[in-house]
Amino acid sequence: MSEMRSGGLHHKAEELAAGLPPLLIAAERVAATVSQGVHGRRRVGQGETFWQFRRYQTGDSAADIDWRQSAKSQPVYVRENEWEAAQSVWLWRDVSPSMAYRSSNNLPTKSDRADILLLALASLLVRGGERMSLLGSGRPPATGRAVLTRMAQTIESTSLQEERPADSLPPFELLPRHGRLVLFGDFLSPLMETKAALDPYVGRGLTGHLVQILDPAEETLPFDGRVQFQGPEREGDVLIGKVEAVRADYIAALSRHRDGLAAMARGAGWTFTTHHTDHAPESILLSLFLALTQGRSW
Amino acid sequence: MIALGPLSFAAPWALVGLALLPAIWLLLRLMPPAPMRMGFPPIRLLMDLSTDQESTATSPLWLLLLRLLMAAALILGIAHPLLNASSMIRSQGPLILIIDDGWAAARDWPARQTMIGNLLDQAGRENRQVAVVTTAKISLKSARPAVEFMTAKNARDRVAPLQPKPWATDRKEALQPLLTSEDLLKSQPGHVIWLSDGLEEGGSAKLVTELRTLGAVTVISDPSSSAARLLRPPSPEEGVLVLEAVRPDQKGEETIRVRALATNGNLLAREDMVFKDGQKIAAARLELPVELRNRLERLIIEGQETAGSVVLADERWRVRPAGLLDPGGTDSSQPLLGSLYYLERALKPFTEVRRGTLSDLLGRQLAVLVLADPPLLKPEELDRISKWIKAGGVLLRFAGPRLAVKSDGLTPVDLRLGNRALGGAMSWDQPVTLAPFEDTSPFFGLKIPTGKTNEISIRRQLLAKPALDLADKTWVKLSDGTPLVTAAKQGDGWLILVHTTANTTWSNLALSGLFVEMLRKVVALSQGVTAGSGGPPLEPREILDGFGRLGPPPPDTLDIAAGTFSETIAEPEHPPGYYGDESSRRALNLSASLPVTAPFVTNVAGIDYQGYSEARERDLRPWLLGLVLGLALIDLIASLALRGLLNWKRVAGAAAVILMFAPGDEVNAQTRDEMALAASLETRLAYVLTGNPQVDRTSRAGLSGLSAMVNQRTAAVLGTPVGVDPEYDTLSFFPLLYWPVSLGQPALSPRAAAQVNAYLLGGGTILFDTRDQSGSGTGDIVTITRGLDIPPLRPAPADHVLRRSFYLMKEFPGRWTGDTVWVEIPGERVNDGVSSVIIGSHDWAGAWALNDAHQPLFPVVPGGEKQREWAFRFGINLVMYVLTGNYKADQVHLPAIMERLSR
Repeated sequence: MSEMRSGGLHHKAEELAAGLPPLLIAAERVAATVSQGVHGRRRVGQGETFWQFRRYQTGDSAADIDWRQSAKSQPVYVRENEWEAAQSVWLWRDVSPSMAYRSSNNLPTKSDRADILLLALASLLVRGGERMSLLGSGRPPATGRAVLTRMAQTIESTSLQEERPADSLPPFELLPRHGRLVLFGDFLSPLMETKAALDPYVGRGLTGHLVQILDPAEETLPFDGRVQFQGPEREGDVLIGKVEAVRADYIAALSRHRDGLAAMARGAGWTFTTHHTDHAPESILLSLFLALTQGRSW
Repeated sequence: MIALGPLSFAAPWALVGLALLPAIWLLLRLMPPAPMRMGFPPIRLLMDLSTDQESTATSPLWLLLLRLLMAAALILGIAHPLLNASSMIRSQGPLILIIDDGWAAARDWPARQTMIGNLLDQAGRENRQVAVVTTAKISLKSARPAVEFMTAKNARDRVAPLQPKPWATDRKEALQPLLTSEDLLKSQPGHVIWLSDGLEEGGSAKLVTELRTLGAVTVISDPSSSAARLLRPPSPEEGVLVLEAVRPDQKGEETIRVRALATNGNLLAREDMVFKDGQKIAAARLELPVELRNRLERLIIEGQETAGSVVLADERWRVRPAGLLDPGGTDSSQPLLGSLYYLERALKPFTEVRRGTLSDLLGRQLAVLVLADPPLLKPEELDRISKWIKAGGVLLRFAGPRLAVKSDGLTPVDLRLGNRALGGAMSWDQPVTLAPFEDTSPFFGLKIPTGKTNEISIRRQLLAKPALDLADKTWVKLSDGTPLVTAAKQGDGWLILVHTTANTTWSNLALSGLFVEMLRKVVALSQGVTAGSGGPPLEPREILDGFGRLGPPPPDTLDIAAGTFSETIAEPEHPPGYYGDESSRRALNLSASLPVTAPFVTNVAGIDYQGYSEARERDLRPWLLGLVLGLALIDLIASLALRGLLNWKRVAGAAAVILMFAPGDEVNAQTRDEMALAASLETRLAYVLTGNPQVDRTSRAGLSGLSAMVNQRTAAVLGTPVGVDPEYDTLSFFPLLYWPVSLGQPALSPRAAAQVNAYLLGGGTILFDTRDQSGSGTGDIVTITRGLDIPPLRPAPADHVLRRSFYLMKEFPGRWTGDTVWVEIPGERVNDGVSSVIIGSHDWAGAWALNDAHQPLFPVVPGGEKQREWAFRFGINLVMYVLTGNYKADQVHLPAIMERLSR
């Protein structure tokens, strides 16, 4: 308390602030909005929050008896707490060159949005006490603010690199069974390749959540006239004489691609959502978090 | 070649290309534009899609028009447009250019050059051969070059260095090779174009007719109203120059202006000369005062820049100065009795008279030196005078009492010592008068006054020893045969002795009009010195060029013999200009030898006559091609911008960097001026900023308090004190500089030290205050004053002015007291007795410091407020001392003051 004088608090706060990367601060801000809507699991379990009282049955440990409640009435009650299971969550985002695209300077690039979403989600998970790790970092899942800071630094250092790695699909790592996996990316690779990358994880029984991040221009193709499109990942060039003519076909192709991805996810028991960079990140985060924390019951 | 008014096209077939412009337009419209490029991640989805549809060309309209303009400019450029192209040359054969480059051609030489340029351009375009002939006189030694044909380019090189010559033309001789050349007669008849200078030489009609055998002839000449005017050398008369000017034609009235210029180009006088209708010659009289006349260097006609309109002046028109040797002393106190009064009065009207010592007089150009019985001359002076006489000077001596006693040898004849008195109390003879002049004497023809009242009578004279040549040397005799004026020629000069005085002590010659006439004759005699027929040939010194400008002589200019100079005509061997060295400078003028001018004959049948055109032909092709390049650049930038490849941010950033050099000096200058104004409009005390805010605040408060006290108690009015930095601020505005020495002050930079030294030298006073009572901080003051010029110091003595400049004080207390105050030792520097440096340790600013409510800020020990009062008194003493100097240092009251002080 003595430290919390005027100068001391300010100083401490500055020190604290200096340690936080700006990305993390932005992510925390997003998470703070979302965390209003986080609830417990509504199940009985090994947590610390009170859930319910139930009658004593043979086999229960005597330490679990809540004597106060039992004294109020005749039967013996046992206190049950909510189930707050700490699960491991693995997070991954696409850092390939195709994610560095944005159609106008007012929108963030897709990779920026992916970073924000990832960190915000991580922040929420930390609040919930979950254990998480970045896929590909090699560290075991852990919980706590240190994890968050480390994750933020890793993400920032990767995004500052000039050369972006060309793989747009998650690498395979041997993860413990029944963990959770969250993948942020644009998933524009051919469906076969995506399926090949995700099947091993499906085989190990992990539950995955795919979040496709797209720019609104990629969604609607708002260009006119004669345009030569160049692929950012060296796929080649395409010269289209009149873009208006192909717009409808393109939108149809994109939705077909998306349907394919959704079907793949459904078949594996995973979830698939799409997010556009011109929408606020909070909108998807809540649903994602709920999807994460409420999965199958154990 | 097609011509449309002033515009013409040299390659008109290229204009056909203009018909292609609509086709270009169509092409540009139909061509699809360059595609926009962009990166797009979901490109794989696009790859499977295909379309045959193409976008129509959507280049913006202004870009199309720009490109069209570019194409049009290119086509026009290829067509080689020309402005004001010359088309004078007719017929198929060669072009023969005859150029008059005599003196009269300088009248409008640029127009001639333009004309030649145009003609050569046309000849070059039409691939004609060109022959160039010039008609000025050629020196006898060189021969005229043969007529040769050359290309227009070579002709241009030949013509480019042509300049008008400052002598007359000789057309007959010049055109001889042309008319007799075999090749010309056999070749195709060409076009002869004669660029004449508008003046007739004689026989031009015949020449022109003969030229017709070579082909068509065109003569280009100025109308005679704009031909060259001639200015003849003036004849000098009594104080007036009579000018004469000549013009070729005689129609109409015309006024020209003549300017008289001095050596450095200053205008001395201007005179208008009027040509009456029907007259070719105009005359005017130019009156110049003597001084201006001697400075005259040249006369020119305004507006004409030819060699014939410039007349150079030489010594013949100069008024020769006469020098009177000033004996000094009593002469000035009693002028009428002095020896030079009458001489001066007599010589002044017609010549320049100078008075001075011998070295003054002989140091300048002098025609006549007059010695009116001076005190004894030293041998080296005598030597100098005799050298000067031999070089051509005229020495006129008058006798007098001194010469009678001792002759110094500088006389034309040997003198008998003593003088002869005539008609005095002790003599038998009557004062004699002059005998009539003989015809060998230079005074022959002068009228000797007769009659009772104005008869010349000589009362005393010096006698000459009889000698064989005395009669030859005598110029004026008295009626009894004794010489009055004797003269001997020595070298180039004359030594003339008048055997009586120049004032009225020995005769009344000085009062007569004959005296004046005789002196004039003597001065005129000196003018003949430079006009001697003997002597070395005169070298060219400065030569006029064709435009009447003086310059160094060309290498093949010959000397002129001195005897024949007056008859010499300005020719290629000796062009007009200055000849001879300093002592015998003569001017050779062109206009002296020219006949009266006449206009060029313009009515020969079959000859085409034209005037000079004004405008220079201008080639528009480079401009058009430049325009094409500029438009191409704009097109490039525009296309890049349209395709989205131009990064505006980078362009704007680069422009911003270039424009970032904002002038900062203006602001500095303004604040410096304001500071200077503020400092100088009121008397202010200044303190040196030490950087320590506490110390600075104290200094400021202290000096404010002191200024307030001074304003209250004395007549001095001080403004608010100012903090100065010796590095940057001007110190000279302030009478007193208070310098608090605080711990750790660094040494002064060289620039600051120089400023402070200048301040001390300029009379400023610095009060160093170490503020530490016991003087333990001497290290700091040594550091600060390292580069400064501190004079030797001593403790302030008991009778120092500081102790009594306003109040009588025994001690100089500040916040402390008891320590010594050091002042400058007097006598080292002259600063009106004010010590430049005062050093003490009493922290005066602290004692003087008052806040806004006039409450003291710091305590004063040990005397309290009484000591503070004395500190203020010291401050007032100091300010008075600095402002008034040694006013209080008078010794008259000192004993009384000392007595009071010791009480």
